[in-house]
Amino acid sequence: MNNVIKFAQSAIILPQWSPIFASQFHTSSALCRVVSGKYRITKKRDKPLTYEMANPPHYIAHRKTWNSWNTCKIFTIFSMSLELLFAIPIIKTYSQLKKHVRFVTVIIKRQFNHIRVAVIIRRAVSPTKMYFLLGYSEEMLSNWIQCPVTLELQTVDSYQDVVFKYI
Amino acid sequence: MSLFIRNYKPGSVYNAQIIWRYHSNKVEMAKKEDEEEFRVLDILKTRTRLQRKVTRRADIQPDRSEKMKTDQNWGNVWPGPRSFHPSSVPLPLRQGYVPKGQAPPGKKANAELMKVPNFLHLTPPVIKMQCEAIKKFCTPWPELLNNEEAIEQNYPVEIITSDYCHASPTIRNPLSRIATLRVKLSDLKLDKHARDKFLRLVGDKYNEGTDLVTITADRCPVRKQNLDYVNYLLTACYYESWNVEDWEKDKALEDMEYYDFDQNPSKANLVAWFMRVSKKGDLTDDEVKAFDVSNIPNGPEYKKAVSDLFNNSESDQTLEDYDAAVRKLLGLPEKKVLQ
Repeated sequence: MNNVIKFAQSAIILPQWSPIFASQFHTSSALCRVVSGKYRITKKRDKPLTYEMANPPHYIAHRKTWNSWNTCKIFTIFSMSLELLFAIPIIKTYSQLKKHVRFVTVIIKRQFNHIRVAVIIRRAVSPTKMYFLLGYSEEMLSNWIQCPVTLELQTVDSYQDVVFKYI
Repeated sequence: MSLFIRNYKPGSVYNAQIIWRYHSNKVEMAKKEDEEEFRVLDILKTRTRLQRKVTRRADIQPDRSEKMKTDQNWGNVWPGPRSFHPSSVPLPLRQGYVPKGQAPPGKKANAELMKVPNFLHLTPPVIKMQCEAIKKFCTPWPELLNNEEAIEQNYPVEIITSDYCHASPTIRNPLSRIATLRVKLSDLKLDKHARDKFLRLVGDKYNEGTDLVTITADRCPVRKQNLDYVNYLLTACYYESWNVEDWEKDKALEDMEYYDFDQNPSKANLVAWFMRVSKKGDLTDDEVKAFDVSNIPNGPEYKKAVSDLFNNSESDQTLEDYDAAVRKLLGLPEKKVLQ
């Protein structure tokens, strides 16, 4: 490579021998392939999708709504509490870490200083255990975020209840 | 699993604990069964699909909405704001986009219904009840302030501030310091000179369309200081506009920001023409300046037309007005437009 550069520099004296040493534009057409939030069709057409997954992101506000409501202002209003910068990721990972949750869509809403987290879960653990987890999560989250957090759960018998279609 | 289905009878009473123990055992049982069974080559995989059966748990209560009475107090069922919950709402709701001819997804396990904010806690009877409850804290509205005009007349100065309510580690919000003062310019006692000077001092804080002067202050850290500052600004501008400086007397005709008919040669010409027509003696310059145009027949209309022409720029309307005023003044017939 160094030799090439040296050759090019020396070639300035002899321009008729200089190689084309400029970067060139790519002239091929742009590949506008959007894949995020879209699911591929399987051969057997047996991949279950929820309503949320069945509608790709460009249908937000047309066929489905946003998963988070009024969460952007959390950072401006509560600018004093730095913990809140991590609020949303924490809530999301925390709910997804739970083993029993499949096809989870975490819905986060903020009303003034109150954060509501709504989730649909399967009735896989005993109610007693679930009540404990509920209170435990609420307590932990509100301690981290420094504002009241409410978990609003809806339970279903099996994950198939939330399946909208198979592709 | 199949054992469980075989033994399951709808209506039989199961203790919740037994079922949980059952759950932990049933995986092993299913394994044993699979080992004993003779394996059949199943190319199309038809059997596995057929074997799937839905098991319903016995310890799950029926929906609360099914037990609800028609004359219940809805405010007790849904007392505060909350995400939608299908078993508490006795309404046959459906939401979701589906191809034509299909029914949208029902209310159960429907995330779309949980996403949208609902107002189930703010039904008209509940609002009425809450209003009744807080009524005792309210004082009656003053009777004389029954319309907008009366309020504006008695309280011409309007102060706008914002309060923010939240319970983060600090209750202070920096935005609450901003104070805005609004007053109608016509409510201030100003003469021609003072008004002109006031507008120059205030600049773009005056809105011509609404006749409102809006002064906003956010430079001090506390609202009280900003309020004081806003009041100070208004007071200072008001008294300053009444001051007449020595150099203001040097203002000549060329310095005028608008066309003043009384100072312009147009008036001198008009008065001179009137004196000649009415066969009176000539007037001195001072007498011309002091002469009242309303003594001349159709004089005020002419004055207005000329002033409009200069102040409001030349347009069809002002030119037509000027034409009509001149015809009236000189006693000429009105303009005839051929149809």
